Amino acid sequence: MFLKQFLHYIYKLVKNNNGEIMDNNEYDKLVKSIVKSENPIKNILIAFISGGVMGVIGEMITRISLNYFEITKSDAYFITFAILVFVASLLTGLGFFDKLLSIFKCGLIVPSTGFANTMTSSAMDTRSEGFIKGIGASIFKLTGSIILYGVIFGLIFGLIRGVLL
Amino acid sequence: MYIKAFLFCGAVCAISQYVLEKTKWTPGHMNTLLVVIGCVLSGFGLYDKLITMFGAGAVVPITNFGHLLVTGASEGYKINGIIGLFQGVLKNASAGISFAILCAFINTLFFKVKD
Repeated sequence: MFLKQFLHYIYKLVKNNNGEIMDNNEYDKLVKSIVKSENPIKNILIAFISGGVMGVIGEMITRISLNYFEITKSDAYFITFAILVFVASLLTGLGFFDKLLSIFKCGLIVPSTGFANTMTSSAMDTRSEGFIKGIGASIFKLTGSIILYGVIFGLIFGLIRGVLL
Repeated sequence: MYIKAFLFCGAVCAISQYVLEKTKWTPGHMNTLLVVIGCVLSGFGLYDKLITMFGAGAVVPITNFGHLLVTGASEGYKINGIIGLFQGVLKNASAGISFAILCAFINTLFFKVKD
């Protein structure tokens, strides 16, 4: 919708400046070619299934690591997290993650794979600018907000939890 | 347990997809909101119940990151008061953050952006 309004605005601008009027049908065709109509219900269903599969994969890794190593449950959850982050980071590096993301939508953003993907991709984008100004400056470009608000709300609700429970 | 994990993780993903469809938010907004929701749920002790109910289904989403921050802070508060709050807030989440940073850095060294 937003894009459509934007295009309409540009269309008006062109019309006013040059006096060349685009045909209405032509304009509609242009909008249709740019805005691909995606069915939101289908996307939600895809996100539900792919997210569920991610949950099942996490559960499987947890079960397997609990069976094979003598570790506590929280350590097993860390191994799950680590494997998901490693795989997502590797796939981002190889360049497959964006293609997967366009298929599976939120199913890959919400799990910790999304966290790893944003971190790796923002670091890779500015790699050419060097270690300090490039990688160092931008590795937390997008994940920084997660850590910032996480820590602030973590302090507030940690205090509440410490007092209440 | 697998079915429970599937349902919970799928539901969280479906709700966030719905929010993304209805608003102009980016995935970054969504992840931040989910972490804050995790913090709030954990602050009142609800997230522990979710983890015992849904197992890894509640651990895989990014909301668990907020839970780790809150549990670390509250454990620190019990040991060392207000100072412990600041000492402990990143304690439990530290493993996850450090590992993610290491992975991101190594992958950045090995791969270049393809275009």
